[in-house]
Amino acid sequence: MENNYIYIPDKSLQDEVEFKCRVPLENTDQVFVVDGEGENRGLRLGRGEILPRLLQIIQVRSRQVEEDLSYSTDYILEEGAQARVLLCSHTLSMLDFVTHEDVNIKLGERAVLDMVVMQNEHNKSRHSSAFKVEMAAGAVLNLNIITLHGGDISNSVEVSLNGKGGECCLNGLYLADGTQRVSTNVNIFHNVPECHSSQLFKGILDGESRTSFSGRIYVAKDAQKTEAYQANNNLLASESAKAYTRPHLEIYADDVKCSHGATVGSLNEDELFYMRSRGIEKGEARLLQQQAFAYAVLEKVSNEALRERLHSMVESRLRGEFSECANCSKHCC
Amino acid sequence: MENLIEIKNLHASINGKEILKGIDLVVRPGEVHAIMGPNGSGKSTLSAVLAGKENYEVTEGTVKFLGQNLLEMSPEERSWAGLFLGFQYPIEIPGVTNVNFMKTAVNEHRRQKGLAPLTAAEYLKLMREKMAIVEMDPAFSSRGVNVGFSGGEKKRNEIFQMAMLDPKLAILDETDSGLDVDALRIVATGVNKLKRTDNATIVITHYQRLLDYIVPDIVHVLYKGRIIKTSGKELALEVETRGYDWLIKGE
Repeated sequence: MENNYIYIPDKSLQDEVEFKCRVPLENTDQVFVVDGEGENRGLRLGRGEILPRLLQIIQVRSRQVEEDLSYSTDYILEEGAQARVLLCSHTLSMLDFVTHEDVNIKLGERAVLDMVVMQNEHNKSRHSSAFKVEMAAGAVLNLNIITLHGGDISNSVEVSLNGKGGECCLNGLYLADGTQRVSTNVNIFHNVPECHSSQLFKGILDGESRTSFSGRIYVAKDAQKTEAYQANNNLLASESAKAYTRPHLEIYADDVKCSHGATVGSLNEDELFYMRSRGIEKGEARLLQQQAFAYAVLEKVSNEALRERLHSMVESRLRGEFSECANCSKHCC
Repeated sequence: MENLIEIKNLHASINGKEILKGIDLVVRPGEVHAIMGPNGSGKSTLSAVLAGKENYEVTEGTVKFLGQNLLEMSPEERSWAGLFLGFQYPIEIPGVTNVNFMKTAVNEHRRQKGLAPLTAAEYLKLMREKMAIVEMDPAFSSRGVNVGFSGGEKKRNEIFQMAMLDPKLAILDETDSGLDVDALRIVATGVNKLKRTDNATIVITHYQRLLDYIVPDIVHVLYKGRIIKTSGKELALEVETRGYDWLIKGE
């Protein structure tokens, strides 16, 4: 497996950027990508090959490289291959980082990829990620994008369902406050019949943050028996935060089940009063509501240990504390 | 003994419209009061004002709760001080489990008293004990607060929360509405089990029905924002047979 990706040993990392993940999840292989260093990152799995452990790719930006960075990563799973990937991105210093990342995913017939993206960068960081996915018949993709923190984060996801029976489940949670920006742009192409796609993207906005979501489901003329669902819900925790949302369906087939829904709302006053009347302090009541709002997205993360960790990171993020993996000694953003 | 609550000349408005027009009421420990009255008389407004709901404006009068100025306290402070409101329409909170909700509330109460939070095991023990009072299935604890609960289950959940928080004064707003006879009996029995000489209950209701189970010491009739009649429990029976008209005409 080692040949499939570049492993940068901890030692040199310690020397160069003093970064090391001290709290790895169990049954996880960790790969560090520092300032986009290293060719051939990502993953290639041959026919039927199954990655037994979670592959965690930790991408960090350090003060060693100040200039804008652009790189691309390929995840190629041939027929029947299976992998679980956790893709983290962090910033280790307060430079005005600009990072562009292309993530190319090709799933062969019945290949299964479960990917969680965890973005936790600092306030001046600008990071755009473009996920481009091609799926053959019967392939399954679960992609969860959790944006905890960042200056200006942009995620674009384009999925082409090119073979019958493909299943694509996209979920995202974005948390923004201050003057942070998060934009999400999803395009799902149902090019063939009998594929299934679902999207659940939720945002919690505080301060003067801005987020935008634009999601398109395209169903080609021949793509009968398509099922495609999309939901984008935004919770405004302050009066000056703004969430833009633009759901979009483009359907040329006539035998499909499709739906979309978008909401932007604020904290429910009746719920708040109910909680406060039971002695739950106002700030805590607001926090419980926000956690409840985020819950549905985090529950889509299949790895239990990772899910628990994300729940607690989201909680500390919503509390205004620094959200880090439990007991990590390094403030990496 | 010290009065639990002393309401004097309480006036309150919502959106500029005066609903309460001078309420006087004193409740002492060990007492059960019933407040009856036709629709629109201000019963629910009174309970909302006492619990601290924000959109009501108190324009005149005072409320002392265990010697403190209740009207200056936030809803959570009122709860910590020992006031409990059983909601007529309990609120559903999807995504917040009952157990998380009540555990947070109980531990917040403990923190205010300088006590350490309950451990998971201690909480569970307390929860089961209190759920038994209203014959509530512990399986409800993992569900969202009131989400998918029937009318009766919601009201049982209110009394369960009351049992968990052990208030000095519980105001039960139309706790009987939407209950069938069995649920009514369970809820009323729960309330009676929680009755002690050092706490008190105000039962707000339309009908005499609930008062067959929770027997009041004092019955008040509220009409157009004022208490127009106060008497013993026989008043409730009289209202049941004669309606409110004779009282209103007497005004």
